[in-house]
Amino acid sequence: MRRSWVAVLLLVGACTGPVRSSEVYESKAGQTAETAASAVQTALLAVDAAKGSKAFGRYLTQVLVQAEEDADAARGTFAAIQPPDQRADELRGRLDDLLTQATGTLAELRIAARRGRLADLPELAEPLPEVAEELDDFAEAHG
Amino acid sequence: MKRFFAVALGILTAIGGFVDIGDIVANAETGARFGMSLAWVVVVGVIGICLFAEMAGRVATVSKRATFDLVRERLGARVALVNLAASFFITFLTLAAEIGGVALAIELATSVNYLLWVPIVAFLVWLVLWRVKFSLMENAFGLAGLALVVAAVALWRLGPDWGGLLHGATHPAVPEGEGHPTWWFFAIALLGAAMTPYEVFFFSSGAVEEGWSRADLITNRLNVYIGFPLGGLLSLALMAGATLFLEPRGIQPGHLSQVALPTVLVLGKLGLAVLLVGFFAATFGAALETGLSCGYSIAQYFGFQWGKFVRPADAPRFHLILLVSIAAGAGLVLTTLDPITITEYSIVLSAAALPLTYFPILVVANDPDYMGDKVNSRFTNALGSVYLLLLMVVAAATIPLMILTKAGS
Repeated sequence: MRRSWVAVLLLVGACTGPVRSSEVYESKAGQTAETAASAVQTALLAVDAAKGSKAFGRYLTQVLVQAEEDADAARGTFAAIQPPDQRADELRGRLDDLLTQATGTLAELRIAARRGRLADLPELAEPLPEVAEELDDFAEAHG
Repeated sequence: MKRFFAVALGILTAIGGFVDIGDIVANAETGARFGMSLAWVVVVGVIGICLFAEMAGRVATVSKRATFDLVRERLGARVALVNLAASFFITFLTLAAEIGGVALAIELATSVNYLLWVPIVAFLVWLVLWRVKFSLMENAFGLAGLALVVAAVALWRLGPDWGGLLHGATHPAVPEGEGHPTWWFFAIALLGAAMTPYEVFFFSSGAVEEGWSRADLITNRLNVYIGFPLGGLLSLALMAGATLFLEPRGIQPGHLSQVALPTVLVLGKLGLAVLLVGFFAATFGAALETGLSCGYSIAQYFGFQWGKFVRPADAPRFHLILLVSIAAGAGLVLTTLDPITITEYSIVLSAAALPLTYFPILVVANDPDYMGDKVNSRFTNALGSVYLLLLMVVAAATIPLMILTKAGS
């Protein structure tokens, strides 16, 4: 009996179900934007370091790989949350656009760094400052 | 002259050995999120660790016996067992975090996934503990850990607004958008990182390992009162670097690579290379210390022969505990639990267990049967009692705050 209760609790804990209200959903969207913005800003600092030849390629690759992983993880977690209503659908769509831009550019940076094309990083990162700003604004508006 | 060098070496080792993965992570995360507003906690933590490490070193020097040995005799097997269980669990978690930290440091230099390094790191930790002399091991990694000074050099080269940093540190306030519970939760994590229990086990057992006599009491004091505060300054340098570079950009550091960014941007490749050496030495040195502390705590409680001052064949159970602890620590990291997360939990839970570690030391350090004329002074007792009260409040608040703030997230 006790085992079955533990199993039920574990199953319930493992589920990412619908959130109770659009306010909670909005707050989670804000947190996701904040995490993604952090990853983008990290990548921008790494690109700054690459611009001035201030760091080894292996280190920069690692920074960019981890930044992409963080943004991807935040996106994946948020995507698994069931939006409670139509307003939440709109919010989800707006954030998803931003996250797609962020993760796409971060992936390009990671690929270039892994191939040793460090000189290309500043050009590839050109969209990131705007994405970072939009993510920050989103986080502030919905956090 | 020889004595002077021995004291200087001890101080340098204490500085380099003070910072470990917990300090690196806690200070960077706090600086990135709260600026310098929690710098005061580092000061409180350093005073606390100085107070109790000096006490533990004095107890070991005068009685020629280490902490757990005396705790069991003085407080009885049951109370000492509670103390042992809590301390061993925290020290073991810290050992796993340090092994993960070493692997992460190597990952930054090689770009090869840290999980592949974990078994190699664990083997090297065991090998050093098995083969290398205690003094050589302690001095080599303590001195190499001094490479972390590069974080302070980067700060100095940057020439920040020192007044602004000082103002932030001396006028603690919860930043806008952050809640008081989260701020206090991070304060507890910082305190746990600065006063982590293994430091006193290692310090007191080390005094026995090195055969300290009453003549070494001055060395004990100088190591603690000069070395640890200077080590605390390294922690503050990491916090200040995060305050200047990561906080304004809203970066929440969850990786060692992000902690290195301020130094990289100021000092370039050379700074990065030195910092990576510092990360490696600090975490590897701490892995050795926590590994030994796992062995010390259990062996001293059960009365097994312990220490590196005897041949491994003469202390087989002690070395078996070391081996099993290292293997289990590596196993924990190999489950793919993030080493930074393990670190965060180890320092927070460490804070919850602090009274269990420090209360017995205060009791033993006041017992004239063990200490003779070297019992605590009134001032030390007053300060020790204030700290114990503080640690009990911290211990009581830790778990509720952890739940309330979802571990600071």
